[in-house]
Amino acid sequence: MSTPDDPADRTDADGETTADPGGTPAADPVSSSAEKYDGRKIVTGEAKYTADYRTQFPDLAHGTIVRSEIPHGEVTDIDTSEAEAIEGVYAVLTPWSAEVPETLYSSSGQSYPEPSPWDMRVLRRHVRFVGDPIAAVAAADRETADRAARALTVEYDERAAVFDTETATDPDAPRLFEDDEVENSQTGADYSRNVESAFGGEIGDVDAAFERDDVDRLELELETPYQSHCVPEPHATIAYTDEDGRRTFITATQVPNHTRRQLAHLFDIPIRDVRVKKPRVGAGFGTKQEMVIEPITFALHLASGRPVKLELSRQEEFSAVRSRHPMSLRVRGAVTDEGEIAALDLHTRSNSGAYGTHGMTVASNVGTKAMPLYPNVPNLRFTGEVVHTNLPMGAAMRGYGAPQGHFAVETLVDEIARHVGADPLEFRRRHAVREGDLDEASAILKDGTRFVRRIRSCGVRECLERGAEAIGWESIDQPTASHLHRGVGVALCAQGSGVAGKELGAAKLFMNEDGSFSLHVGGVDTGTGNDTMFTQVAAAVLGCSPDDIVVTAADTDVAPFDYGSYASSTTYISGTAVKHAAEDAKDRLRYWGSKLLEEPESVLETGDGRVYSEQTGESVTLEEIGYEAAYGHDEREQIMGHGHHSTDESPPPFGAQFVDVTVDERTGEYEINELVFAADCGVVINPALAEGQVEGGEHMSLEYATSGTLEFTDDGVPKTVGFREYGMPRTTDHPPMETILVETHEPTGPFGAKSIGELPTNGVPPALSNAVRDAVGVRLTELPITAEAVLEALDRT
Amino acid sequence: MTDIHIDCSINGQKRSFDAPRSALLLDVLREHGYTGAKRGCDTGACGFCTVQVDGEPVTSCVTPLAAVDGTTVETIEGLGSQDDLHPIQAAFVEHSALQCGFCIPGMIMRSKALLETNPEPTEAEVREALADNLCRCTGYKKIVEAVLDAGERMRSSPAVTDGGSEVAGERGAGGPCGRGRSCRHSPGERE
Ligand code: FES
Ligand code: FES
Repeated sequence: MSTPDDPADRTDADGETTADPGGTPAADPVSSSAEKYDGRKIVTGEAKYTADYRTQFPDLAHGTIVRSEIPHGEVTDIDTSEAEAIEGVYAVLTPWSAEVPETLYSSSGQSYPEPSPWDMRVLRRHVRFVGDPIAAVAAADRETADRAARALTVEYDERAAVFDTETATDPDAPRLFEDDEVENSQTGADYSRNVESAFGGEIGDVDAAFERDDVDRLELELETPYQSHCVPEPHATIAYTDEDGRRTFITATQVPNHTRRQLAHLFDIPIRDVRVKKPRVGAGFGTKQEMVIEPITFALHLASGRPVKLELSRQEEFSAVRSRHPMSLRVRGAVTDEGEIAALDLHTRSNSGAYGTHGMTVASNVGTKAMPLYPNVPNLRFTGEVVHTNLPMGAAMRGYGAPQGHFAVETLVDEIARHVGADPLEFRRRHAVREGDLDEASAILKDGTRFVRRIRSCGVRECLERGAEAIGWESIDQPTASHLHRGVGVALCAQGSGVAGKELGAAKLFMNEDGSFSLHVGGVDTGTGNDTMFTQVAAAVLGCSPDDIVVTAADTDVAPFDYGSYASSTTYISGTAVKHAAEDAKDRLRYWGSKLLEEPESVLETGDGRVYSEQTGESVTLEEIGYEAAYGHDEREQIMGHGHHSTDESPPPFGAQFVDVTVDERTGEYEINELVFAADCGVVINPALAEGQVEGGEHMSLEYATSGTLEFTDDGVPKTVGFREYGMPRTTDHPPMETILVETHEPTGPFGAKSIGELPTNGVPPALSNAVRDAVGVRLTELPITAEAVLEALDRT
Repeated sequence: MTDIHIDCSINGQKRSFDAPRSALLLDVLREHGYTGAKRGCDTGACGFCTVQVDGEPVTSCVTPLAAVDGTTVETIEGLGSQDDLHPIQAAFVEHSALQCGFCIPGMIMRSKALLETNPEPTEAEVREALADNLCRCTGYKKIVEAVLDAGERMRSSPAVTDGGSEVAGERGAGGPCGRGRSCRHSPGERE
């Protein structure tokens, strides 16, 4: 068979298309560290992020947001006359402007209807924190927009404010939401006490277990701070109407489809008239799992009649957008004389700040991610309360409540181990989750058994073993100086792979004549490498090289539906959708192979860019099939595949975080000598990218444990407004890190894979606290762990 | 507002700008299509906007345009192309030393300035040189490995230190970064 001309083939240069016919397929593309799909355009500066599209819009207007300067009150008037008189100002919007919808909505990029309360408006008269958006300007350039913003005169009617969850729940505390200011379907809401939601679940009988004579009771109270996403690319959106009248958004988002739906609802336009396009995104980590600035950008576009670009400043990112929820936690354990954990009882009180986006769902994950580490504890209770204050709102952030939960559970388990005289490593080896266990804890807040899950893959013991060896658990040398003490700590980690029962991913794939495939997929790559993973998954099924897959992703006009990139869902959910699409197309490849080879489909396989016969070894190249299917004499077909995926499954990836620390007992200062993370994410798709997820997750976890927090004045005015005030670790702050990938096979995952994105954000706080405990015998329960706190704890002993 | 007139060279091309006295280099670069330099903070605190001025790494967001009059400016756009990467770029790609990529142009320009003055840095020196360039995605590990490897590449093909470039993957089989990594254009691929 021959092709009519000599089409270019991207793989020719590598000699990859001349694999021996019928031979075994070359190394599985799934497990190779294929070059990152967008790597070359990133290193050449050609990768385009939202703000880089400015050059396509000669009449682009630049937007800016005016924010509340008071923590709580009513905006009674905004005088715009001076601003409007400035040359080059195209639009000034206030809460009273016609273009600004009054509808209540939730900004959270979640399934519909969003579980989070609908409690915000695009521009706000009732302001609830310093930073609430109250007005917006579009102008010829940034400088003019900022000048106009400063020219607004805002009048407030100030109200009393509240900045801590304790005071906020007092019946006399200032109330943030009146009944007509919020629609909320969550359990336990009581806005008269500023409680956005309250929830709880129990397995067994916890109180009875704690009252038993043969148990000892241990308890810890813990505090966790705000953490900033420090998202590299500040939120950015360009909104315009194209020549077909389509409302188009180029926007830095993790959730194009949710954002499209929310924009359509908010502005009362049909979903079909809205197009959301995700370009390269300078990461999300949860802060872009939200419709944050798209509505304001669009309202400015409507008012100015021009394409509008809105880019947030770093100060806004730190103080006005989204952060990790601060929490106060209490965890109790009952341990029997035999050293068995008879009961665990975990309570969290989350500070959701001024709005409830992801408030309850994040708090729910505090227990449902960490507690499944010990599924054989017979009595479990998990309760929580989510409280409003006049501070910036918490929201989704990588880990999504799990880092707070792990800090509580994994420090308590360490105390329990020490209490019963066991080595903390050995204790975990004995009690932690195993393959085959039935995990009810992840469904503790749900009614019924639908979400109780069987653990089908679990590498916890290998993670412990290999991590312990790498950190040198058995053989820590003490420093010679007597004031220095070295210790090691470990913490187990778990997460999920998508939100069980609340995900949908879809993909379509069509073949080109040259044997390549165009893949249109809703899955959203925010920098982690999903597009690369998609090419590997598709290639592994189709028997071609990842280079033969051309990806167009996350453009709602082109790609099919996807819930978006959050909850560690992309490989597991969107990756499986791609796999299904590829399998669908593969059936057609077999059909055409059978036609050309004159052998039955049942003996045909794909590999090395061919369809080959397992029986005779005869083969035909994908390119030959591509031409034949498009231009064949008697029959023609566009070879295509469709796939989607949704499931109640969400298998947990597991990990073990190790920390080696040296503490100076004179000053409380400590130095982390090494971090080791051993991860079980099932079969590893692209080891280099998986390692990158672990190393980046550990970076955030290190920050959470040691240096990251937001500070405010007593009046709720943010003090942390830039990188200089915030403790994001730099190259020189990072201890050596070792990553170990422990492979298991998850039968429900694509090629056996589970998730990896969030898992490594959970471990450093508990492992560091445990290591300090090991080194100097004190328990640190407040993050970030400071030298002063260590010294104070030492002084108490 | 009084405009100033500036002559400089950007990536070897003569450029002149008339701009307000308050104009900043990053804004002018981005306005004129050099969008590889990224805006991350506007306060000189993240390094995403790093370019070289007369060989020195500067954060262009806090560099007045006036300060580059008569200088030579180098941006990421002046390095290699996708088919013909500069060795530092090739090392970043092959070490998977990038995720979202927003910090990467600045990271590469800073690394280039380092390797031009210190062709054989230790790991500590690399970490020191990159301490003002933040990265939120990678934990820096692969970035530091890439820069160390880039130094080696530049030393072993001296032409590139004179501004030439290296085709990625010409470094022989077995994985260009020595770790068996496969790479789209490397002979060690899919072995
Ligand atoms: S944008 Fe210039 S240093 Fe951050
Ligand atoms: S790769 Fe995302 S900030 Fe460095």
